[in-house]
Amino acid sequence: MKISVQRAGDAHGPGLSRRDVLKVGAGFSLALVLAGTVGCSPGTKAPVAGYAFLQPGDVELFRALAPAVVTELGSFDAAQRKTLVEAVLRNVDATCAAMDLGSRKELRKLFDLLAITPLRYALTGVGAWNEAGIEKMQAFLARWRGSRFATLNAGGNVLVKLTSSSFYLLPESWPSTGYPGPLEYVFNAVNS
Amino acid sequence: MALPDIYTEGIASGWKVIDAAKLSAPQTLEADVAIIGSGAGGGVAAEILALAGLKVLLLEEGALRTSASFKDMDEGRAMRELYQEAGARATSDGAIAVLQGRSVGGSTTVNWTSSFRTPAPTLKFWASECEVVGHGVDEMKPWFEQMEKRLDVMLWEAHNPNNSVLMRGCEKLGWEAHAIPRNVRGCWNSGYCGLGCPVNAKQSTLVSTIPEALKHGATLVHRVRVRQLQHADGKVSGAVGEALREDGRTPSGTLLTIKARHYIAAGGAINTPALLLRSKAPDPHGILGKRSFIHPVVLSLAQMRERIDPFFGAPQSIASDHFQWQDGATGPMGYKLEVPPIFPGIGAGVLNAFGDELKREMAALAHSNAVLALLRDGFVEQSSGGSVRLADDGSPILDYDLSDYVWEGVRRAYLSMAELQFAAGAQKVRSAHIDARYATSWSDAKKAIAELPLKKFRATLFTAHLMGGCAMSQNAKRGVVDSRGRHHQLANLSVMDGSVFPTSIGANPQLSIFGLTAQNATALVQDLK
Repeated sequence: MKISVQRAGDAHGPGLSRRDVLKVGAGFSLALVLAGTVGCSPGTKAPVAGYAFLQPGDVELFRALAPAVVTELGSFDAAQRKTLVEAVLRNVDATCAAMDLGSRKELRKLFDLLAITPLRYALTGVGAWNEAGIEKMQAFLARWRGSRFATLNAGGNVLVKLTSSSFYLLPESWPSTGYPGPLEYVFNAVNS
Repeated sequence: MALPDIYTEGIASGWKVIDAAKLSAPQTLEADVAIIGSGAGGGVAAEILALAGLKVLLLEEGALRTSASFKDMDEGRAMRELYQEAGARATSDGAIAVLQGRSVGGSTTVNWTSSFRTPAPTLKFWASECEVVGHGVDEMKPWFEQMEKRLDVMLWEAHNPNNSVLMRGCEKLGWEAHAIPRNVRGCWNSGYCGLGCPVNAKQSTLVSTIPEALKHGATLVHRVRVRQLQHADGKVSGAVGEALREDGRTPSGTLLTIKARHYIAAGGAINTPALLLRSKAPDPHGILGKRSFIHPVVLSLAQMRERIDPFFGAPQSIASDHFQWQDGATGPMGYKLEVPPIFPGIGAGVLNAFGDELKREMAALAHSNAVLALLRDGFVEQSSGGSVRLADDGSPILDYDLSDYVWEGVRRAYLSMAELQFAAGAQKVRSAHIDARYATSWSDAKKAIAELPLKKFRATLFTAHLMGGCAMSQNAKRGVVDSRGRHHQLANLSVMDGSVFPTSIGANPQLSIFGLTAQNATALVQDLK
């Protein structure tokens, strides 16, 4: 599907032609080299305090992704929602940190790419994560997952799965799934 | 009823169990046999060697987790503590999710208990095509019997609704189906096998062979990563292990020196090739870490009228081999049909959906059935498997591509599974594929599946069975080890885990590993006496 690339090209940031953006489909490494040549950098390289892997830009990304991937979050009140989004972020962070070097490097490339404003804008159509809103985030995911470029598919899938699994591991999610929680007679027996 | 914890009591009675995370000074450990990895291979070898009076040292990278920590029956805790990379292990490109255990007991601590003997066509193929000797059907029979008896393997007849869908569909269509033998003693039928059995019913190596080895003087060291086997003049002279911190990943800086007469690599088909690659073990024919097989898994999702509760009850108790050997071992790709249990976290991953679609599908979880197909890779030239290589820090990376031959099998498997689910009364069915939408009839599903683009990142792909990479063969050009698991170039090194299989198994592999290891470890005892 071409939409993602054409749209991305139309919305290019400074120094990025549509042709440059097309090349991004070949791999995230290439996009980062490209970013280097136009003087962009993802900024700080340290995890947020209390996190093992996620950096400030990544946290913003997942804060925006959580309600877009998991619309179930909309059924909670604002205070609960905030707590749950933080719990999702903790799960995402723990999972990323537990990955072996090969996977951590790939994720870092993806997250760094998305942390560079012009590249993010070109590839996702999103300017700032905290202003994107659910529809825009969903449109970005749909474009990436629908793209003919395997690299964008891979990126879209990993963002969706990290977020969705991180939410549905939380006991608060269970009532919406029909999973009643640990099988009662066994749980009671082994915890008595 | 508070359940006694085997290890709490055992350690109190004097078992030698060392948590390397608690070590602050370098250690030298000596033994007759050092076993690296405590899963299906290492756990069984430990018992046999310890009972024979040998001094056994069992080294495990993961932590010791026991029923005391399984009693929360929580999926998130299990993922974090019992699986490789917190359940997020995948092939190098992220296209295939890898579910593999990582704690004392390895994958036996988290698997779904299916205990099949190695299928006869597989054993025959190894003998006729892979220059393997000593593991024919008749030769293996006593070893399977021994391990079935040891680990209480029994046919399970109380099928949960998820498995009943598979049974009913096969009955309606006249397809072969059979009950699955399970390694359980006093099973409570809870369905929590994958999260660590909360009642110690599953006869994982964690609760069976390792405790027995410990009773007979073996030493277990956990949270230690063996970095390297040192070798010279065709012999392993020692091993270096690094203690890990409480997080189970970061080296603490404390080193363990291991000296043994014999070494057994048993880290599974990803970590064992990686250990040998890190150690620069002789590999004159360039075959180490090659021909890695994974039984690529694809799934089909159905929504049923009745409640399925796919999280409860013995997770796997029915299987179908209808499509497994239709064209012999080497025709178009064969596959085995089974069902997976679906807890919410892993369920969300399988669905690979977002937004209101995800919400709708998760809301239907209690009425959802999933069928999976295990594709039997490695039997023809067009299915030569993947390979293991090393990242800069020495951690393993698995590359695996799917050839047209495999994708053709994927499409047939999608068709079989959809046909079966409709025959079993499904209201709607879709392939676990990013482009698949629910079809409400078998004829619609058939059309939709014919058009699905078969590519990585579009098809949801899993593996829970890691095999190959250190193949056995009498021919040193084709095998890293001989048929008894002895390394062709390093005299006092054996491999005893799924990595010795020259092809995939064609069934869940734990009993194949148990039986082969029992046979090869028993032979090793004679060598060492």
